[in-house]
Amino acid sequence: MIRKPVPVPLREGGEVEIDVRDVTIAFERDGGELVPAVDRVSFQVRRGEFICLLGPSGCGKSTLLNAVAGFETPYEGEVVVGTKVVTGPGPDRGVVFQQPRLFPWKSVRANVAHGPRMAGKSRADAGAIADELIEMVGLSRSAKALPHTLSGGMQQRVAIARALANRPNILLMDEPFGALDAQTRTVMQEGLLRLWAQLDTTILFVTHDIDEAVLLADRVLVMSAGPGRIVRDLAVDLPRPRTIETTLGARFQALRRECLDLIRQQSQKAFEGTHDA
Amino acid sequence: MADISTPAALSPRGAGALPAVGAKRRRSARLSQRINMAVGLVSIPLFLMVWQLIAQARIVNPILFPAPTEVARAAMEWVTSGLFVEDAVASLKRVATGYFVGSVVGVGCGLLTGRSAFFSGLLGPLFQVLRPIPPIAFVSIVILWFGLSEGGKVFLIVWGVFFTVWLSTHLGVQKVDQGLVRAAQMLGTPRRRLVGEVVLLSALPFIVVGLRTAVGISFYTLVAAELAGAFAGIFYRIQLAQQNMQTGLVFAGLAALGLISFIADRCFAMMAQRLVWWR
Ligand SMILES: Nc1ncnc2c1ncn2[C@@H]1O[C@H](COP(=O)(O)OP(=O)(O)OP(=O)(O)O)[C@@H](O)[C@H]1O
Ligand SMILES: [Mg+2]
Repeated sequence: MIRKPVPVPLREGGEVEIDVRDVTIAFERDGGELVPAVDRVSFQVRRGEFICLLGPSGCGKSTLLNAVAGFETPYEGEVVVGTKVVTGPGPDRGVVFQQPRLFPWKSVRANVAHGPRMAGKSRADAGAIADELIEMVGLSRSAKALPHTLSGGMQQRVAIARALANRPNILLMDEPFGALDAQTRTVMQEGLLRLWAQLDTTILFVTHDIDEAVLLADRVLVMSAGPGRIVRDLAVDLPRPRTIETTLGARFQALRRECLDLIRQQSQKAFEGTHDA
Repeated sequence: MADISTPAALSPRGAGALPAVGAKRRRSARLSQRINMAVGLVSIPLFLMVWQLIAQARIVNPILFPAPTEVARAAMEWVTSGLFVEDAVASLKRVATGYFVGSVVGVGCGLLTGRSAFFSGLLGPLFQVLRPIPPIAFVSIVILWFGLSEGGKVFLIVWGVFFTVWLSTHLGVQKVDQGLVRAAQMLGTPRRRLVGEVVLLSALPFIVVGLRTAVGISFYTLVAAELAGAFAGIFYRIQLAQQNMQTGLVFAGLAALGLISFIADRCFAMMAQRLVWWR
């Protein structure tokens, strides 16, 4: 396979928004021995970019995302967001988890309004922000409902609206559509792309689904099997706006193929690795 | 397999008759449900009738086992004399005060030990050692500490209520969904507001179970409290009646105690549903 180096299309602004510098994150095994889950990873995300972290299960994607979110502290290296080193979670980085994790005791509207309320906005202002976002994700009719009365897809849309309510510069998404059925997932992917085009948010999106990564991203960062490393920074030069039709094109298939080969190599290595050990 | 094939085999028209068999089965299920309900309604009257018959037949000593009619007469007398209200108010005041203080302190300590490993280490073992001691065992020392004052009685009820509420709050707080905590954090919830916004509500289903158990416990402990010397109260009345061999009044007192704690539990159950509104 011939790989043409594709220049990364710089979006307006183009400043570095997320700077991951030589980050190693290790967890303690039962014996007390430190085992790295993410091994000396570096990458940069520019303002407004949509980046997908792609890799096999257990390779450390969530761990890396959690380091950017501030839930995980690097053992070595640092994550810089804007101009500040990340020391903890904050409202400048909205997070959408694999599970919706909505507050079960709050209505959809109150869930979305929570962030602005914590930022000191009045009840009315926070409510107005919530209503606007709920409208954007198409759930106006369920604004008063409690989360458990909604379907999984609807709950995840609420979670996205909630993560956007503080108008964060960065949206971090950890396999947000992983638990949804194929049809719903497609609808959500197209919806997310529209939302992103409207909002000018930087998105770091974790997935193990190759098609999803290629469809959504400006760049796909392909990770190796654990301990996670970035083995390829692949620019996706597909024109936008993209829809599910995009996946039928020859260029999409070529990029998909490239990712597939990389992932297959990684899985192979991981498999042989377990045999050697 | 056997019970699936049986109806078809028994019915003359084979598989085509299955819906009819289903309807019949449903009807008989409904019938037996009604019978069970009717049985439930007559349970207490039937028990009282048998008791009345046994007492009238003089199979047992009527002074030790007074007939329901005699118990009712004693109860009426207790109510009309105005003493019942006095006793009930005295007892309920103790229960309410002790329950309130015990619950508030219990929830507070539970939040503290559930959230902080330091306080869990400091207080957990102590509470676990004190918890199994029945409150009634403290009656003698409480008399020495508090004399016959109300403080001692309330103390016993607080003691009884506290540990249950503490333990359920502690466990509830420890089981708080860390995912929800992270969600709250990324939305900018300050540390000091996490307890009010997430932890307390997350733990509420556990806390409510503890609070409900504590309602029953506060009435058990009331008996111990009034054993420690009182001048009014339902169990105080029962003791007094026992000394005067007014067995009718003893039974009336027992019935009142059962009824009041039953009503309290029911009220709490109804309130609990509102308290955990999202379930
Ligand atoms: N809290 C933790 N304690 C110990 N080990 C952990 C912890 N979190 C993650 N790990 C380990 O780190 C490695 C990477 O985990 P991570 O959850 O980041 O993988 P992932 O790429 O997100 O996988 P998946 O696609 O299955 O979600 C795994 O081997 C996992 O066992
Ligand atoms: Mg993961």
